[in-house]
Amino acid sequence: MLLLLPLAIPIVGAGLILLFRNPRVATRAALLLGGMEIVALGALVWQVHVRGELQEGRYLRADGLSAFFLMGIAFISGLVLVYASGYLRHMGEGRFTSARWFYALVFMFLFTMISVCLAANLGLLWIMMEGTTLASALLVGFYNTEGAVEAGWKYLIVCTVGIAFALFGTIVLYLAAVKAGLSPDMALDWLSLMKAAPGGSIDPHLMKLAFVFIIVGYGTKIGFVPMHSWLPDAHTEAPTPISALLSAVLLNCAMYAVMRYDAVVSRAVGPVFPHSLLLIFGVLSMVVAGLLILVQRNLKRMMAYSSIEHMGIIAIGLGLGGPLGLFGALLHTFNHSVAKSLLFFSAGNIRHSLGTLRIDGINGMARSLPQTSAALLVGSLAIVGLPPFSLFISEFAILSEAFTQQRYLVATLFLIVLSVVFGGFTYYLFGMLCGDPARHPENTRLIPSEYIAMGIAALCLLLFGARIPYLFGRLLQEAMAVLR
Amino acid sequence: MDLVGIATGQILSSFSVFLFLTILLLAVARRISTAVLLFSLQSAVITAEVLATAFQEQLPEAYVVGVLVFVIKVVTIPRAFFLLADKLKTVRDVKASTTPTQSVFIAAAIIYLSYAAVHSYGQSMHVPDDALAAAVSLILTGAFLMVSRKKALMQMLGLLVLENGIFLAALITTFGMPLVIEIGVFFDILIGLLLMGIFTFRISDTFDHLDVSKLRRLRG
Repeated sequence: MLLLLPLAIPIVGAGLILLFRNPRVATRAALLLGGMEIVALGALVWQVHVRGELQEGRYLRADGLSAFFLMGIAFISGLVLVYASGYLRHMGEGRFTSARWFYALVFMFLFTMISVCLAANLGLLWIMMEGTTLASALLVGFYNTEGAVEAGWKYLIVCTVGIAFALFGTIVLYLAAVKAGLSPDMALDWLSLMKAAPGGSIDPHLMKLAFVFIIVGYGTKIGFVPMHSWLPDAHTEAPTPISALLSAVLLNCAMYAVMRYDAVVSRAVGPVFPHSLLLIFGVLSMVVAGLLILVQRNLKRMMAYSSIEHMGIIAIGLGLGGPLGLFGALLHTFNHSVAKSLLFFSAGNIRHSLGTLRIDGINGMARSLPQTSAALLVGSLAIVGLPPFSLFISEFAILSEAFTQQRYLVATLFLIVLSVVFGGFTYYLFGMLCGDPARHPENTRLIPSEYIAMGIAALCLLLFGARIPYLFGRLLQEAMAVLR
Repeated sequence: MDLVGIATGQILSSFSVFLFLTILLLAVARRISTAVLLFSLQSAVITAEVLATAFQEQLPEAYVVGVLVFVIKVVTIPRAFFLLADKLKTVRDVKASTTPTQSVFIAAAIIYLSYAAVHSYGQSMHVPDDALAAAVSLILTGAFLMVSRKKALMQMLGLLVLENGIFLAALITTFGMPLVIEIGVFFDILIGLLLMGIFTFRISDTFDHLDVSKLRRLRG
């Protein structure tokens, strides 16, 4: 029941919201449903914390790892819904570009992402992962402009092909499990796979083959270089709340899937093979995206490349493994989500106030938009990993793991990219903040919804930088325990 | 031996040949309608293979899958394609970036490569080389169609061919995944195609053409 409720609310809610033609009513309904969803998810996370593991039927299960990611989904989707309630006032009324369609699709999108985290069966996980693409493709193309349609098409095609490879990987894993003697019904069940893996009865070649396809397939959704081509376009052209959802929740969900497979494959064939693959993709994504950040002309595009870079950081943490690497990787998924949401929220405000996102077309923001500038500044300083903010801690944990394991090449590249990105971000940031404003927007103050969403995100970045709250730390430990 | 048994044996031993035939024909198909018919034919071959496997291995669930494949891939999807092509009033040419001769050579190379690639796996898994090679070459042909044909509809078709290959691989190696998962996969494909259909409408609305290679605004 506890597992079904967080799934039922968004899918029923999506249908209900379509009934409200008035955008204001639809917005209020969405906020109410979002609140209920957060409470339901909170209760679920708490129960997992108390009881350890919950199972519903054969296909749904919540353990520490699911709970950790569900908490992130609940937190970020709450922020996004609050921010969107103010953001949508700028939206024109079209046939499908109305508030009710927007919220209905957002709730469908949330439904698929929550199901990904609750799937006990890796086949169901695949189905729901493909569902995330389908639910969000229309949101990416929501504005129906040339750019949005192009980005939506590219997103749909690239991710569907990528996910098809993940299906092939899932089938190979299924084959390996059935050959090892698991019953066909339980052969894709994650827990039975984890139990059967250390016995040595599973064909190691098939496991490796499966993992290659999985990391290419789900890696497409994570945005690993070179499968990242959809990501900058989709993030740039989607409405800003959706960019935040894509970057802060969807990428994490895909990473979650890779974590599950990584745990099984590491147990069956030893950690060297899967972890090396993760390290290769992680370093490649980090380096390429870190360099591409420097040449971007569009603020949201720059942030999209920064997401690829941070997914690379998380992959490096996973690839290094060890207590600090895993800790850093999991913590970084959450920290990056918060910082990136804050950045996208600021970008949305800039877009509305100044009418442009071109970095060289923005000047003197500190004077014309003081509050948005403050948020952008906090977000940027956090995302480059400066100390008072939480991303510093997770990045530092991953880096110290690299040094502990004496992987100096990884550590050096890590540090070089971080400094290059730091240089690039600060250079562009001060270009936008300083100088005389070329344009003077009429409304410079934030409205309450933006105030709340951005304020909570900024506070969270500071708070987690100072000290990780006790309960959060416990949940993190429980998530790590599941993967060991 | 009864008739059904003979038919089953015939299907299982010869379906790969028919699949290779559809692959080569798809490479030379110059009209979208021809390509869609070939896809339908290909799916019919796969349906026969599913039913034959179901009969031989005594798997009642596989009959359901066979019926699903028939209804969705042989009947519904091709019909939807014709409807879509009709509504969009698009030109019928597939706009290939390779000449038919080149395409056939590439398709032949794909088939050859697939045989080479599966050789070591086939024996260890007790699966005939032909069947596994057919599955792999379907996957590669689908990918080839997607990158070499400029029409949005052909990209969708390439994706379906690719998916056929993955389905076939699952079928011959494991006799298919559990039914619930299989149905979920079919459902995803249907929704995915529906969305792609919506997007093709939007592309033709906003750009006045369906040539995906001209979608070049977003770069870098």
